[in-house]
Amino acid sequence: MALLEMRGLTKIYDQGKIEVPALRGIDLTVEKGEFTTIFGPSGSGKTTLLNLIGCLDRPTAGTIIFDGQELGGLDKKDLAMIRRHHVGFVFQSYNLIPVLTAYENVEFAIRLVNKYDKKEIRERVMRILEAVGLAGLENRKPNELSGGQKQRVAIARALVKEPKLVLADEPSANLDSKTSEEVLQVMAKMNRELGTTFIFSTHDPLVMEYARRLIEIRDGQVAKDQRRE
Amino acid sequence: MFLTKLALKNLARHRNRTLITASIIAFAVFFYLLLDSLIGGMTEMSYEMIINYEAGHLQVVTEEYWEEEEKLPLKNLITPEPELMAVVKNVPGYLGSSAELNFQAMVSNGVNELPVIGRGINPQDFSGVINLTDYFVEGEMFHAGERRAFGVSPAVIGKRLADLLKVQTGDYLTLLVKDKHETFNTIELEITGVIYTGNPLVNAGLVYIPLDVAQEALAVGDQVSKVLVRLENKNRAPGVAKELAGQLQAVNPQLAVYSWDQLEAVTVAGAKQMGNRLIMTIILLIAAIAIINTVILAALERMEEIGMMKAMGLQTKEVIYTFVLESTGIGVLGGILGVLLGLAGVGVFTVVGLDFSGIIDMAPYGIPVVGTIYGVWNPFSFVTVFAFGVIVSLFSSILPAYWAADKDPIKAIYPR
Repeated sequence: MALLEMRGLTKIYDQGKIEVPALRGIDLTVEKGEFTTIFGPSGSGKTTLLNLIGCLDRPTAGTIIFDGQELGGLDKKDLAMIRRHHVGFVFQSYNLIPVLTAYENVEFAIRLVNKYDKKEIRERVMRILEAVGLAGLENRKPNELSGGQKQRVAIARALVKEPKLVLADEPSANLDSKTSEEVLQVMAKMNRELGTTFIFSTHDPLVMEYARRLIEIRDGQVAKDQRRE
Repeated sequence: MFLTKLALKNLARHRNRTLITASIIAFAVFFYLLLDSLIGGMTEMSYEMIINYEAGHLQVVTEEYWEEEEKLPLKNLITPEPELMAVVKNVPGYLGSSAELNFQAMVSNGVNELPVIGRGINPQDFSGVINLTDYFVEGEMFHAGERRAFGVSPAVIGKRLADLLKVQTGDYLTLLVKDKHETFNTIELEITGVIYTGNPLVNAGLVYIPLDVAQEALAVGDQVSKVLVRLENKNRAPGVAKELAGQLQAVNPQLAVYSWDQLEAVTVAGAKQMGNRLIMTIILLIAAIAIINTVILAALERMEEIGMMKAMGLQTKEVIYTFVLESTGIGVLGGILGVLLGLAGVGVFTVVGLDFSGIIDMAPYGIPVVGTIYGVWNPFSFVTVFAFGVIVSLFSSILPAYWAADKDPIKAIYPR
């Protein structure tokens, strides 16, 4: 069943007198539970595509249907609500809130959903922190965690609300290969256990190794779309 | 609730910056409270000066005279008949009353001439309203019916006037006046006392003479300009004035009663106070600039974090809320600190006071140039300045917070 359907997706950046096309009529369908990697050279349009899928930006032309809902007619507030309830983000620079502990950073995301009581929030946060291998570190602040641990907190934060989709933009860019593998294993595990759809944007061959679907973007178009077992 | 927690945690994020900004607000609040206390003290003193040395608590006059009082006219005067005085003496909280006749004059020592206000008084009644006993630096107040050698009238003048005319007790002066019929007349005076009060008008511009001497020289019969009334409590004066005015309608419908707070000098003092409040408001606006600066710095620093929060689904208004709450927290912190400092400062100020002599000319306020000004407690100011500090902090953060929160999340996440 399709989680995402993109038809004729086009994005042109208006930079004064010059128009820079980033995406040129992309057609893609992403099924629920997929573990997909989008790769391609710098400037190919990977991050732009991720931003459009994540409701952070609007296409110049084309449509995106997210879990049966066409995003084109939604206003800023509706898009924020989709992000809040159904999309988790993992960025290369973690973007954790430094004044909050690991527990609180994760708690923040689930509080926004406003669906669970206090006890349930605690149980879910502790469970996800344990699942990403951070049991016992929940009271540490970001400056007391290693890069890998920070990225695990970011993953836990993205997953705690059980979103339909997790978008990870270069999640391993700031990590060494051992830590990258650990983090990818965590995400693969979550994908298997929770059935969450993951879409990565990366240059990292290691990330590509883990992917079950590889989409290559070149010059704003899908150059290759390969599924593997 | 979580956003509130986040905002409060952010307060401790850059402790030094928070403390510096809070200190600026605290200083503004503290400075405002000190100035307010000082100006309150000065205003209160100037009111007391006017009440104690010039006007008493109530003035019974004709409305026509009141309108032209500045010119000290010799028309629209009143006759202090026993019936009128009986009504006056029956007002609640009555302490004393005194009829007086005010007139324009030139005073001469034979060499120099100065313009003055002549004030004809009955010394016994006058002391019941305005007590100058403690302010004599030479001689004393003349007595009822007293005349000096050769029928010369006794007189009391202020120290400053005595210095200007280079005269002292026992010296002679001449008052040149125009009577009711615009005819020039002179009154020969012998100085029986010199006073020095906190009131600059009394010190430099008044000559007290017996009422009957003034009435005769000015050809006004037994008429007077006004009747001053002293009450137990100045705060009751406005109410008593209305009550007395109603009662006097039966005696003389042309009579009106004005309380001390309706005097022009008091109104002017009030207007000056308003001007000072404006200056103090500017001081608080400086605190607003500090808050704006802090919010902009914080927003620039946390741009990626703001982007992440928006990616997580926070709406612009929720991001604004965290910044505004954080700034309000700084405002509360600064406000509390400022109020505590203010309590200490005003406390010292009310007990020890501040000696302004030789620093600035306080004459326009009717404040003694020699001596100490004491502050006054104004609890209302403490509450309002605290609230104002917090409100200024809150409102001044909205615009920079909006600027930060409304950023495109992509530009915020990927600032470069």
